[in-house]
Amino acid sequence: MRIRRIGAAGALVATGALVLSACATPTQSAIEEDTRLTVGWNQPFFSYNESTSNGNATANAVIKYLTVGSFQYYNNEPALVKDESYGTIEKLSDDPLTVKYTIAEDTQWSDEVPVDAADLLLQWVADSGKYNEGEVTYDEETGAIIEHENLYFDAAALGGGLSNVTEVPEIDDDGKSITLVYDAPFVDWEVALAAPTVPAHVVAQQALDIEDAEEAKDALITAIQEGDTETLKPIADVWNSAFDFTDLPDDPSLYLASGPYVISELSADDAYITLTANENYQGDLEPKVETITVRYNEDPMAQVQALQNGELDIINPQATADVITALEGVEGVTVQTGSEGTYEHIDLTFNNGGPFDPATYGGDAEKARMVRQAFLMAIPRQEVIDKIIQPLNPDAEIRNSQTRVPGSPGYDDIVASNGSDVYDEVDIEGAKALLAEAGVTTPIDVTLLYGKSNARRAAEYQLFAESVGDAGFNLIDGGDDNWGSLLGSGTYDAALFGWQSTSLGISESAANFRSDGGNNYSGYANEKVDELYDELETTFEEEDQLRILGEIEAELWADGFGVTIFQFPGVVANRDTVSGVKNGVLSPSVFWNFWEWDPSESAVQESEEG
Amino acid sequence: MLTFLVRRLASAAVVLLASTFVFFMLVDFATDPLEELRESSQINREAQMEQRTRLLNLDTPPVLRYFLWLKGLAGFLWGQGTLGESWRTNREVTDMLAGAVGVTLRLVVVATLLAIITGVTVGIASALRQYTGFDYSITFASFLLYSLPTFWVAVLLKQWGAIGFNDFLRDPTIGLWGLIGISLVAGLVWSALVGGEVRRRLITFAVATAATAAVLWFVSSTGWFLDPSLGPVLIAVTGLAIAFGVTVLSTGLRNRRALYSAVTVVAIGVALWLPLQYVFPYATTWLILGLLTVTLAVAAVVGWAFGGPDRAQSIRTAALTAVGVALLIFADRVMQVWRIYSDYSDNRPIATIGAATPGLNGDFWVETLDQYTHLILPTTSLLLISFASYTRYSRGSLLEVLNQDYIRTARAKGLTERTVVMRHAFRNALIPLATIIPLDIAAILSGAVITERIFGWTGMGNMFITALNGDDPYPVMGFFIVTGTVAVLANLVADLVYAGLDPRIRVNA
Repeated sequence: MRIRRIGAAGALVATGALVLSACATPTQSAIEEDTRLTVGWNQPFFSYNESTSNGNATANAVIKYLTVGSFQYYNNEPALVKDESYGTIEKLSDDPLTVKYTIAEDTQWSDEVPVDAADLLLQWVADSGKYNEGEVTYDEETGAIIEHENLYFDAAALGGGLSNVTEVPEIDDDGKSITLVYDAPFVDWEVALAAPTVPAHVVAQQALDIEDAEEAKDALITAIQEGDTETLKPIADVWNSAFDFTDLPDDPSLYLASGPYVISELSADDAYITLTANENYQGDLEPKVETITVRYNEDPMAQVQALQNGELDIINPQATADVITALEGVEGVTVQTGSEGTYEHIDLTFNNGGPFDPATYGGDAEKARMVRQAFLMAIPRQEVIDKIIQPLNPDAEIRNSQTRVPGSPGYDDIVASNGSDVYDEVDIEGAKALLAEAGVTTPIDVTLLYGKSNARRAAEYQLFAESVGDAGFNLIDGGDDNWGSLLGSGTYDAALFGWQSTSLGISESAANFRSDGGNNYSGYANEKVDELYDELETTFEEEDQLRILGEIEAELWADGFGVTIFQFPGVVANRDTVSGVKNGVLSPSVFWNFWEWDPSESAVQESEEG
Repeated sequence: MLTFLVRRLASAAVVLLASTFVFFMLVDFATDPLEELRESSQINREAQMEQRTRLLNLDTPPVLRYFLWLKGLAGFLWGQGTLGESWRTNREVTDMLAGAVGVTLRLVVVATLLAIITGVTVGIASALRQYTGFDYSITFASFLLYSLPTFWVAVLLKQWGAIGFNDFLRDPTIGLWGLIGISLVAGLVWSALVGGEVRRRLITFAVATAATAAVLWFVSSTGWFLDPSLGPVLIAVTGLAIAFGVTVLSTGLRNRRALYSAVTVVAIGVALWLPLQYVFPYATTWLILGLLTVTLAVAAVVGWAFGGPDRAQSIRTAALTAVGVALLIFADRVMQVWRIYSDYSDNRPIATIGAATPGLNGDFWVETLDQYTHLILPTTSLLLISFASYTRYSRGSLLEVLNQDYIRTARAKGLTERTVVMRHAFRNALIPLATIIPLDIAAILSGAVITERIFGWTGMGNMFITALNGDDPYPVMGFFIVTGTVAVLANLVADLVYAGLDPRIRVNA
């Protein structure tokens, strides 16, 4: 009985199934597709305003490079290339230095509001710190910027070149351009004012609660022109923190684009950001790929395996021997090695009573110079390149300039004349002769400071110790993980570390070598160098600038300030399904020519044949 | 009981407080937020350093900064708490934790459950076959797995499990020698597991080898890997096997009512397979959970309807079988999207990094499959290691119980071996495991650092290591406060669970 009932139920179900099967087949799942590329990167994006002191990180800059247009960019030589489809920078006069920024007619944000003088003016008012009042206040508990009473734009550029522009710039050309007048000459005027990183109309709309974009911009311009701090304060607050986000905000106006791509997805938990081609982009850098996804992973080997597995198309991991070896074993992948923006160097200490300090020899500057030169002559720079760097970058060469990045304009001329050739090859005999001439007793104790946990630097120390030992120096291992805070403390005689070049700015090196420079940890003081830097500040012809830099370097090398060793090696790898990927030396590294990335089959075949 | 609880909680709080102080000092010592600025050659470097010093109160002594941090923590008591902010991203640490805990849970829950289930099963099988070849092999394998370093296993898994398997998918045929080799190994494992006399072993070996070879030949020659599916026939066959298996373990085959209810739910499941295909396109998580509830309800009704003196036994058997069949139907539907998913990923479906494919525009099934292809490797890697310890514990624990007097008594009074093992021994053997599991979960929450990092999951471990490398002290403290609290609570829970399960333990002592 019971069994029969169950049988009946089963029959019912079966009938139902048959009836249903007579209908159409069930809906099938589907996935939408477009042309896409996936790039591996190490640090996740976290702020759309990379002009703030907090947002000023490469992780943000590379994404902003794709989403926000600019007057210029660095190519892979590196050299500054202009993008006139975005706008132009024009120097009108040397004295007073007057620079005019004009936005191109078609340049617009992705909500179709044009980029114009209001955006430029906002960027200037923030970067110059013109109206900043007093000090910013931070919440004692959380350390976050609190809504302070004072007006304060917390810009990363504060204290830089734009602090010389105290006059509110004039607006011309129907509101498409502004003109900056410098109080004092500034040679790096070309890279002083960034293209607007965030839209002025959004900042003003949010800060002043105005709906219409044009109206908001007018209010912003008026406030800046009149120095209306009441109005500017909320503007500064919005500019400082409204654009910090790690998940896609609900309000799309917080990530408007003026460049080829616009953010379409962002997830902190899933560690990726997706950029989709900006329909409203009118410029020349038209990309070939519909969407670019950047996935974040800090483990270089994980990136290599993901590249091999096709989850990533392009990677730019930290170059280590393991990574390079692993990459070479992968099929269907192109590996390019090259240089990065950071360079390794040794600086000697002039003011700690050590072997390189004239005071040690009763103020005999000449004697100290000979000891320094003898030490530097014994530094095996080529051996470091051969043994440590070339496995990672076969084309690596010694860097011979204290001021210019190899490949950048003027590097070759400066190197030819700066006197660095004295240190080209290890000269133990020459070093010994110099020490004998100086009449110092050997062995001389020299403490070398470097980052202890950095395996590469520890290996360099070993090579140095052996070589300078032959010349009569006893190189003491001063490796310390807190080397950064020890710089300038006088507890070491020589320091081995890296300087990172973020631009090709002419005056960038002044901080390192001027007697009062902020980065001068060596106690180096040379009046002639100071004078040359003074001269450089008022020199606008590139040829003259490079000549002066060459003269400065001649002083530095002759004084035995230190030696530069190598550019950090970099590596870029891409699957052969995409063509046009090239390593870049300066930020934004591999992204520098994203518009040339082409995943189409014809392009890939062409690049294989060529 | 209450005094015990209060006393334990109070001492736990003190321990936690003291360790946060020590940890804060260690973190402060290990991180230098100004480090990267020291290498920077920007013109306004000094100004930036000053900004950051003020932002992080770096000119205040660390002990005072600890108390400021503690004040923020204490604020949670009156709802205004803060764990500080990451200075790198301006993100509240509480927000970061919320995301990271979710990701970590997603990763470790499945792995832990699977490790417990497989570990306990294998451990028990191993204990029942004590001192046989099977037992020794399992002992060897579990010690081997236990001692493998995660980072190594993870990289190997990626190389063979993802890259290798995806390469295999280009032409998914198993060669003759591979087929013979795998079949022989499978035959050996089964014959060792089933055991018995030589004749029985040989029969088991032959049947298992032949069955494996047949299955492999089938999947290889039909290109099953490229477009896998189960279909109603396979679901019916496998479902029946589940029904018999569950009945054997749960009530024994003599209980016909239980067997019939199990077989009936399989029949219902197979009959519903086709209609369900029309429902599945509209699937959401809630719909699936709802269907699971319905499944359990149907199983309960079926078990109840078969009646008998002990209805609970039939209901239990039917329910366990029903869940098994439901899983098969679910798996079948997930397999149906394999083809398009595989196409989308250029025929490389198994992933090595991340928790999901970014920007995948698919329905519930595509996204489910996507999660599985991302979960499989990290889960396997976690599983391999914790599986080993569960095997050891459950084996040891069951052997100890089996040697006790009451087991001998149970055997002496004529109970079947199944009843002795499943009812009398197995349940008691689980008591020590119940105390290990909370501790293990606490350890795995904080200890998946390496797994998370290698597989690119942004969970707790990743948050910790990223913040530490980025000289970002407050997220590190946030990580510590969560994992520290979980560890302390897990200890407490383990004690209480033990006291609850084993009447010989008194917590008042």
